[in-house]
Amino acid sequence: MTLKQLTYFSINHPKFVIILTLIITGLFLFQFPKAHIDTDPENMLETNQPDRVFYDQIKKDFGIRDMIVLGITDKNGIFQPKTLDKIARITDEILKIKGVIVKDVISFTTTDNVTSEGGLLKVRRIMETVPQTNKEVEAIKTSVYNNPLFVEKIISKKGDAVALYIPIQQKNMSYRISKKIEQIAQKELDKSQKYYIAGLPVAEDTFGFEMFIQMGILAPLIGLVIFLLLFYLFRKISLIISPMIVAMFSVVWGMGALIGLGNTVHIMSSMIPIFLMPIAVLDSVHILSEFYDRYPALQDRKKTMLAVTDELFTPMLYTSLTTAVGFSSLALADIPPVRIFGIFVAIGVIAAWLLTVTFIPASIMLIREEKLKAKISKSVKKPSFLKRILPGIGQFAFTKSRVILLGSIFLLAIGIWGLTKIVVNDNPVNWFNKDSKIRVADRVMNQLFGGTYMAYLTLEGKHPDDIKRPEVMTYISNLQGFLEKKDVVGKTSSVADIVKRIGNVLKGNTTGRGVIPQKQDEIAQYLFLFQMSGNPNDLDNFVNNNYQKANIWVQMKRGDNRDMEQVEKDVKKFTEKNDIPQGIKIRWSGLTYINKVWQNLMVKGMLEAVLGGFAAVFILMLILFRSPGLAFISMMPLTFAIVLSYGLVGFVGKDYDMPIAVVSSLALGLSIDFAIHFILRFQQKYKENGDLEATNNYIFQGPARAISRNAFVIILGFLPLVFATLGPYVTVGVFFALLMAFSTLTTLLLLPGLMRIIGFRFIKK
Amino acid sequence: MKIKNYILYSITFLMFWNFGSGMAQKKLSGKEIITKSQQAFYYAGKDMQAKVLMKLISKNGGERIRELTMLRLNMKDSRDQKYYMYFHRPADVRGMTFMVWKYTGRDDDRWLYIPAIKLVKRIAADDKNSSFVGSDFSYEDVSGRDLSDDIYTLKKEEKINGRDAFVVESVPKQASSAYFSRKVSWIDKETFLPLKEEYYDKRGELYKTFTADKIENIKDIPTIIKRTMLNTQNGHRTEVSFTEVKYNIGLRDNIFSERYLRNAPRKWIR
Repeated sequence: MTLKQLTYFSINHPKFVIILTLIITGLFLFQFPKAHIDTDPENMLETNQPDRVFYDQIKKDFGIRDMIVLGITDKNGIFQPKTLDKIARITDEILKIKGVIVKDVISFTTTDNVTSEGGLLKVRRIMETVPQTNKEVEAIKTSVYNNPLFVEKIISKKGDAVALYIPIQQKNMSYRISKKIEQIAQKELDKSQKYYIAGLPVAEDTFGFEMFIQMGILAPLIGLVIFLLLFYLFRKISLIISPMIVAMFSVVWGMGALIGLGNTVHIMSSMIPIFLMPIAVLDSVHILSEFYDRYPALQDRKKTMLAVTDELFTPMLYTSLTTAVGFSSLALADIPPVRIFGIFVAIGVIAAWLLTVTFIPASIMLIREEKLKAKISKSVKKPSFLKRILPGIGQFAFTKSRVILLGSIFLLAIGIWGLTKIVVNDNPVNWFNKDSKIRVADRVMNQLFGGTYMAYLTLEGKHPDDIKRPEVMTYISNLQGFLEKKDVVGKTSSVADIVKRIGNVLKGNTTGRGVIPQKQDEIAQYLFLFQMSGNPNDLDNFVNNNYQKANIWVQMKRGDNRDMEQVEKDVKKFTEKNDIPQGIKIRWSGLTYINKVWQNLMVKGMLEAVLGGFAAVFILMLILFRSPGLAFISMMPLTFAIVLSYGLVGFVGKDYDMPIAVVSSLALGLSIDFAIHFILRFQQKYKENGDLEATNNYIFQGPARAISRNAFVIILGFLPLVFATLGPYVTVGVFFALLMAFSTLTTLLLLPGLMRIIGFRFIKK
Repeated sequence: MKIKNYILYSITFLMFWNFGSGMAQKKLSGKEIITKSQQAFYYAGKDMQAKVLMKLISKNGGERIRELTMLRLNMKDSRDQKYYMYFHRPADVRGMTFMVWKYTGRDDDRWLYIPAIKLVKRIAADDKNSSFVGSDFSYEDVSGRDLSDDIYTLKKEEKINGRDAFVVESVPKQASSAYFSRKVSWIDKETFLPLKEEYYDKRGELYKTFTADKIENIKDIPTIIKRTMLNTQNGHRTEVSFTEVKYNIGLRDNIFSERYLRNAPRKWIR
C-alpha cells in the first residue's frame, strides 16, 4: 500500500518529519486569534430557513428586542417607601447602562399607567416620585393592581416581587449588561431583598462566556487524565509524550482549520478539543501496545517499528476512516453548527491519524536504543491486570457463546423497547446546573410572574387596518383567553388588551378586563387615544405600522420545547374549532418557538445522519473484509452500543437533547473500531492456523489488551466532563462513557461467540 | 487712568464693529436668545391657523400619516396659549378633536373628543416624555418648554446651512423635569428660529435631532413650514409640513371650549 510509505519515510527521516510537523502546527496555531464566538441559538438554523426569516421580519415589524428580566423580591412586601425607593434608584442606574434601550424599559418608574378619576383620564408613570407616606404607597398599589396589564407582568400576585423588563440592543451584550445589573442590585439591596436575572438571552450569552472557562479547565484536565492513563499503561514518559503531542496537535489542526476557514466557534464546535483529544491517542495506544509486545523479542527499534506498521497500518487506517465518516455523517444535518462540528472533528481525526503514522514512529526512532531496552524489558516482567484477566474472559465468551448470544438478543429487544420511550426535548436554561444562578432565577421568576420565555403568535391580514376589524380584535382576545388557561402559559398581552383597557378607563370602570368594541372606528379611536397619551412604542410591540399585522406576546413559564410544541398543537385545535376571521393568517414565532424548530430539525437530521453514517460505515466494512457476513458481525458492537445506550436514555427519562443527539455520531465512528481490530486480527490468525479456539486465545492475549486499553483511555478520558458546570458537557461525558462501555463489552463478550458460531465461515483460507 | 479708559472704549468699539451692524448693541445671553427664539417659534402672531401633515416614518420605510388643522391663540396678558386640533386623517379617527390650554408654571389642561362614543375626556399626562400623536415630537416639542425649567448657556456662534446662528445649550435645572440631560440649539441670528436641535439622553448620548428644513415668510413672519424630528437611536423619524398657514385671523376665545370640541367650528376647519 502506498500510504504505508508515509510511515516508512518517517522511520527513515525522523527529524525532517518532526520539524515539518512543527511548522504545519505553527501555521494552524496562527489562525487562533481570529476566533469568533457565537452562542446565538438562532444560528442553529440556516439564515434562509423560513421560520428564521419570519422571526427576523417579526422583530422588524414590531420593534422587538432581546430582553433581560430583573426580578426584585422583598419578603416584607414591595409596597413600602424604602423598598420602592430602592427600586427607583436601581432603575435609574440601569437606564444609564450602555446598550439598554431606555425608551422601552418596562418598570414602575418608566411605564405609563392609564387610569380614570372622575372625568379625568390620567396617563402617568406608575410611580412618578417615590412615595413617602403609607397613603401614597397604598395609592400606587391600588392603581397597579387595577390594571390587568401589569399583574404578573411587573408585579407578582402577592406583591412580594417586581419585575423590570430591560430590552437591549444586541443579544451578545446580555452577559455584560447582566453583570452590571448585578452590581447595581448588590449595592442597593439588603438582607430582606433578593434579585434574580432571567431571560433566554442571558442564559445563552452566559453560556458562551462559561464555555470559554470550561474549555480552559476541561481541555487541560482531560489532557492530564489521558497522560496519567498512558503512564499507567506504558510507564515510560519519553514514549507517552509523543501521543500527548499528537492529541494536542490534532486539536490545533482541527480548530485552526475551522477558525482559519472563517467559521465561528459555536457551542458545538467548542467541544471539538474535548472530543478530539481522547480519540487522537487511540491509534497511538495500539502502536505502543504492539511495540511493547514485540520489542523484547526483536530488541531493535527500527525492526520493531516496521513490524508494528505492517500489523497495524490497515486497522488504524480503517478505524480512523470510520471515525471520520461517523462524524462527517453530521454534515447531512440541517443545522449549520452541527455540520461544522462534524466536518471539523472528522478533519481532526484524519489529522490525528496522519500524525500517528508519521510523528509517532519518527519520535520513537529518536529515542536511544539502550533506553528502550532498559525500560521495556523491565516492564514486561510483571503481568498487568489486563494480561491476567483477559484470557479468562476470552475463554468464557468462547465456551458460553450460545447463552451470551441469547442474552444479547434479549437485551437488544429491551433496548429497542427503551428507544420507543425516548422524549425529545431541550431547553437552553437547563444547560446550567440546577443550583446555578440562572436556573434559580428561572424557577423563582416563573413562579412569581407570568413567564420569562417569550413566544409570539402573530396574525396577518390581507389589507392595512385589518387588525382593527372588531371580529379580528375579538378573535385575538378569545385566543388569549384560551392560551391563558393552559398550565404552561403565564401571561399573554396584545393590542386587544390595550383596546379593552382604554374602553374600560373611558367608561370609568376601574377593574375588570373590559370588552372589545363592535365598531371599527371606535377601536381605531381608542388606539389613537392611546398613542396620544402614552409611549407609542408600547403599541408598536403589538401591532405594525399599518395595522395589517398583530402580535400576541405569549409568556411561557417553561422553555422546554416539549411545552412549546404542546401549546402550538392546542392553538391549532382552537383555530380548527373557531373559524379564523377572513383573510387572517396565524403563525408562531419568537425565541422559544425558534428553539423548538431547530430541535425538531435536529432530531430528524440526526436520525438521517446516523442512518447515513451507519450505511457508510457498513460499506467501508464491506471493502475492508470483502465479506458481507464479517461486515455484518463487525456492525454488532456499534448496534448494541447505540440501541442499549439510547434505550437506557428512554428508560431513565432523560430528555433527548442536542448533546445526546450528537454523541450518536461519535459512537458510530468509534465503537466500530474495536470490532475492526478484533475481526481483522481474528481473520489473519485464523487464516494462519485454522483453529477457532487457538485464534480466540491469541486475540485475548494480544489485541484484546490493546482494545481494552483503548476503552479505558476513551472512557476515562471523557470522564473529567462530569465535573463541568455546564450540562451539555456533563451529558456528553457520561453518555459517551456509557456508549463506549457497551461497545467494549459487546466486542469482548459477543464477538468471540459470533465468530465461533457463524463468523469463521466467512473467512476464506 | 484716562489712557486706560480710552483703551477700554476702543476695545468695546472694535468688538461691536466686528459683530456687524444688524445686531443689537449688546451681547445677548443664552436665556435672552432662547426667550426670543420661543417668541418667534411658538408665539408668532396673535393667533395662527395651519394645516399640518405629519409623516411618521419607521427605519425600514413604513409610513403612518396624521393630518390635522391646528388653531392657536395667544392669551393677552400672559405667556399662556390655547390650541385646538382637528384630525382629518387617518380616516378612521376623522373628527377627533384635541384641545390644550397651555400654562406656564403648571401642567397644561387637555381635552380629547372621541366621536365614535361621543365622549369628551379631560386628559392629565406628563408632557415631558409623552409623544405627540405617536410621533417623534413630544408635547413639549410642539408647544414649548417653560423658560424657567432650564439653564441656558451661549456656547458659540457659527454658521449652519449658510446662516449665522447662536449655539445655545439648555440643561434642565432638575434632572427629573426632562427626558433629556442636555439640548443644543442652533438659533438663527436674524429670525431667532431654531435651525437645528440636538437632544442628549441621561447617558449623554444623542437620541433626537430636530431640523428646520424649510422656512418661509408668511405675512412677514418667518415660519418653519417643514421640519423633521429624527430619533437617532431607533432610526424612526417624523416629517411635518405646514400648509395654508395664516396669522392674525381673529380667532375668538370661545372656540377653545368643549362645545366646539364636539362640533368643530366650520369657519376654521374644512
